[in-house]
Amino acid sequence: MQTKLKESAPILEVNNLFASTDNLPILKGVSIKVYPGEIHAIMGRNGCGKSTLSKIIAGHPSYNITKGEINFLEKNVNSLEPEERAQSGIFLGFQYPIEIPGVSNLEFLRVSTNARRKFLKQEELDTFDFEDLVKEKLELVKMDSAFLSRSVNQGFSGGEKKRNEILQMALLDPSIAILDETDSGLDIDALRIVASGIKKISNNKMGIILITHYQRLLNEIKPDYVHVMSDGQIIKTGGSDLALELEKNGYEWTDNFEKEN
Amino acid sequence: MNGLITLKKKTKPMQIIEKIKTNKLLSNPTEIQKICLEKLQSNPLPNLKSELWRLSNKSKFLKFLDFSLNGSSTNFEFPYQNNSQNIIRLIIGENSQININSENYSINELNNEELITYIKQNVSSFDQNENWSELLNLCLSFEQNILGLRIKGKKIPPLEILSHATHNSINAKTLILIIEKNCNLDLLQINLGTENSSLSQSTYFCLEANSSVNHGMVAYGENKSNLLNSLNVIQKQNSEYNLGSLHFKFNYARFEIRIKQSLGNAKTNIKGMQITKNDEQIATYTKIEFNGPNGFLDQINKSLADDRSHAIFEGSIIVPKIAQKTDASQLSRNLLLSNHAQIDTKPQLEIIADDVKCKHGATISQLNEEELFYMRSRGLTLAEASKLQLGSFFKEIISFIPVPKGRWDLLNKLLKQD
Amino acid sequence: MVNENLVKDVVKEPYKYGFVTDIETEKISKGLNEDIIRLISSKKEEPEYLLNFRLNAFKKWQQMKEPNWAELGYDEINYQDIIYYSAPKQKEKISSLDQVDPKLLETFDKLGIPLTEQKKLTNVAVDAVFDSVSIATTFREELAEHGVIFCSISEAVKNHSDLIEKYLGSVVPATDNYFAALNSAVFSDGSFVYIPKGVTCPMDLSSYFRINSGDSGQFERTLIIAEESSSVSYLEGCTAPMFDTNTLHAAVVELIALDDASIKYSTVQNWYAGNEEGIGGIFNFVTKRGKCLGNRSKISWSQVETGSAITWKYPSCLLLGEESIGEFYSVALTNNLQQADTGTKMIHIGPKTKSTIVSKGISAGKSKNSYRGLVKMGTKAIGAKNYSQCDSMLIGDQASANTFPYITSQQQNSEIEHEASTCRISEDQLFYLQSRGIEFEEAVSMMVSGFCRDVFNQLPMEFAAEADKLLALKLEGSVG
Repeated sequence: MQTKLKESAPILEVNNLFASTDNLPILKGVSIKVYPGEIHAIMGRNGCGKSTLSKIIAGHPSYNITKGEINFLEKNVNSLEPEERAQSGIFLGFQYPIEIPGVSNLEFLRVSTNARRKFLKQEELDTFDFEDLVKEKLELVKMDSAFLSRSVNQGFSGGEKKRNEILQMALLDPSIAILDETDSGLDIDALRIVASGIKKISNNKMGIILITHYQRLLNEIKPDYVHVMSDGQIIKTGGSDLALELEKNGYEWTDNFEKEN
Repeated sequence: MNGLITLKKKTKPMQIIEKIKTNKLLSNPTEIQKICLEKLQSNPLPNLKSELWRLSNKSKFLKFLDFSLNGSSTNFEFPYQNNSQNIIRLIIGENSQININSENYSINELNNEELITYIKQNVSSFDQNENWSELLNLCLSFEQNILGLRIKGKKIPPLEILSHATHNSINAKTLILIIEKNCNLDLLQINLGTENSSLSQSTYFCLEANSSVNHGMVAYGENKSNLLNSLNVIQKQNSEYNLGSLHFKFNYARFEIRIKQSLGNAKTNIKGMQITKNDEQIATYTKIEFNGPNGFLDQINKSLADDRSHAIFEGSIIVPKIAQKTDASQLSRNLLLSNHAQIDTKPQLEIIADDVKCKHGATISQLNEEELFYMRSRGLTLAEASKLQLGSFFKEIISFIPVPKGRWDLLNKLLKQD
Repeated sequence: MVNENLVKDVVKEPYKYGFVTDIETEKISKGLNEDIIRLISSKKEEPEYLLNFRLNAFKKWQQMKEPNWAELGYDEINYQDIIYYSAPKQKEKISSLDQVDPKLLETFDKLGIPLTEQKKLTNVAVDAVFDSVSIATTFREELAEHGVIFCSISEAVKNHSDLIEKYLGSVVPATDNYFAALNSAVFSDGSFVYIPKGVTCPMDLSSYFRINSGDSGQFERTLIIAEESSSVSYLEGCTAPMFDTNTLHAAVVELIALDDASIKYSTVQNWYAGNEEGIGGIFNFVTKRGKCLGNRSKISWSQVETGSAITWKYPSCLLLGEESIGEFYSVALTNNLQQADTGTKMIHIGPKTKSTIVSKGISAGKSKNSYRGLVKMGTKAIGAKNYSQCDSMLIGDQASANTFPYITSQQQNSEIEHEASTCRISEDQLFYLQSRGIEFEEAVSMMVSGFCRDVFNQLPMEFAAEADKLLALKLEGSVG
């Protein structure tokens, strides 16, 4: 296991988080700390709460935090609006990127990039400068500029949608990126493109959380920590070898962890 | 109901109706005015309980009639500059004889006889209730406010025709267009309301075989302006009629569309939109009849209601036995943005022919929450995200209105005003 | 082209239930006035409040006008030419089925509803109504063990007067509409169901309505009350003999569901529809409405409407309780000169209420089949949702199919979605089935029943099979 310098403060600190939707408890005490430069993986069966965790960190209005806190860059963000979180550097890569008919992808990317730049007290970009920036970033995910003129995610294939997510990550340059099943629905080539894009974007100031079912993304991007979630809790944490063991033994193997705890 | 009660008690004067009843509307009525007055006299108001009028705000409707008639013209400017040489602009009521004859096309004013014949033909089939708006319009339209054009040929420059109301009065404007065979036309019609005014606009289209028209209808008012806008279209075989319409900023507005594919085998595309705010009421009624086989219709109507306003859409599609192989679809999409606003929609199908493809749909909702969250998670504020979503809601309709690109700004500005 | 005539042949099947039972009946004289109403009430030995209820309704009815907005074409009804009370003569008080006139038992036997101890259906309790009166109710003791009351409404008036006084007219007020007012004035009998708190009714309950005499109207009234956390499934079937005059059937059905209660109400309506020329048949003008009074309560209507010369009904739900649910599943088949104007009203009043509407109309012959429905979101219906789907199938080029959805919303935080389409049986589909060796008629009925599948799935099992058969019979000879 790699050891990271933990002198600096964590980027993200989730502290004993309980959350529910429609009075149904989903998270039952989740804690996780991500320091700069770290890559974490969260694994678990469908319905274990891992996607919910990512949505709650991003501020999805359908969920209520009933207990615990989310600290981002040492500030409690529990009550921040989703856009405030995004502007301050929390990025969520959606498992199912939403199609928004009629809204041009380019316009959408420009407005969101400028919102982030404004927060960072950087100069906002006009249409021309922005197009230059996008073209540079398009390279990272091997996307054609034709995608820019289409409506957001509309008519995109599964792979194209995921690449569009990574493009957004590149443009927004977040402090923490939570990528929810970015590998699902990708063929092996698309997976490589996406993974290499993520690697190029990541840096030693950024934290990354990969949410996934499978080992294959983790072969491309080696995590420092692997967490296993079950029924709204993290039941085991280990190094990247934990994911390999999971792959080998299946999730049934993890059922014993709960008994251990 | 309140309106009906007021009506009986006659506590509110309704200048126009009083004048129709007592036959003191015009000192020297034309033949057409006489015919229509006669039709209206026995029963000068539509049946406010009937399907076509039941949702109409009665007191607003009665206020519409509460102005004195103004037939004179005032000098009026188009609301924006003409920055292209290539557009023909006409203002109803302010034009001298129009006769444009060029190599490829001609636009000629109908002579009086032609006009009378055409209008009479239409009036003869008018129903006092269903065509009340047209009958009122023809009663009130002075000769100089009736513009009839015969259009022939190809490569016709885009046409812009403006109707406007004058302050503190009711104005009536009538437009008749005969589009000859094989003719293609782009037309933008603008109806402008002004503060404290009522505008009655009726438009008649006759599309001869193989002709096509792209028709834009942009109507907007100011504080306390009212509009009764009716549109009658007859489509002959192999004609194509495309309508993009936008109505907003009227205290009270009704847009009544009646389209008849008289022999079938024609194409109709309609994309309409109405935006209501404050306590405005804007309604769209459409009736599409297929009187022959192989007709095609694609219709979408969008409403957006905010504040305490009320938006209404009622559309009917009529497919008689003769109209086999009709393909018609009608969609009503509505956004309700306030808890004090109301939306009513009633898309209806009346079908006898069996070999047809007909469908309709309707939704009423607010802005899509998942889409909003997605945009907010990328740093857009709720207001920005809503604006983008509303923009996309409009875009499909507005892009269908044949307006040269330079004017987009104008439309956008108008839409953003409150 | 699919052979028109062949299809027409497929829809013709003689009405199986058109026989008349020859039985001595007690009828009062024709006509309607206050004395007649007093007479009906006294024959039924009713308490004062009920007589007043009737008289009040009658007074209002006289001031009302027969509605005409549905544009249904029928000759004016002469309300003075109808007999408002007709009952088979039998011994004074019947304590067991043995005392029921064998002719009546035989009648119900023939209709497929055996009532006697030996033959009665094993899993369904039946209330059999013959003209104006209920003649027998099966399984009463078994139901009583669970506290379930299932009896004729006349009996309920005598034995459960408090419930009747409290609930009768509470969902459909006596003055609700012209035909409801008429019914409230002259109703003769019908079924009463009471499911106590926490009880799941151990078997399906069923009423079977039989009109026998040609000159009496049928005005039955059904009242179902489901207390907290109870549930019941209720079925209703109808037939009538063939007469060449029109008979008026103006029923009122009221359902009340309290907290967490659920009522499922299924109808298979096969009144005599008149002949091919449109002569005779029942005028079926019915008011059915359920009130989801309690939180999380649920009322589900399913109906298969195949009979009657004219059907005019809109089983509706008033969704008052929080998270209450209303459902409407309907198949309406019209043939020859039948007219049907049917649909539902879903009135969303409480927050998080949900409704689903699935309507399938099949029009054949020269019939007219309309869906008419109202979905309304009131100002307090926060988070309410509706989904409606209305499909029409046209058979032949003489029939008409109409869709009139009325949609209105005053709550921004609610969603309404409505879809409608029309289709016909395509030649390609028919050919495909036929090329696999399926007979023409079989192929047609397969496709019709496929078209209705979503609705049939909602019916209780025995009913679903029955409905399928009924549709196939009705359609025989009409497809082409």
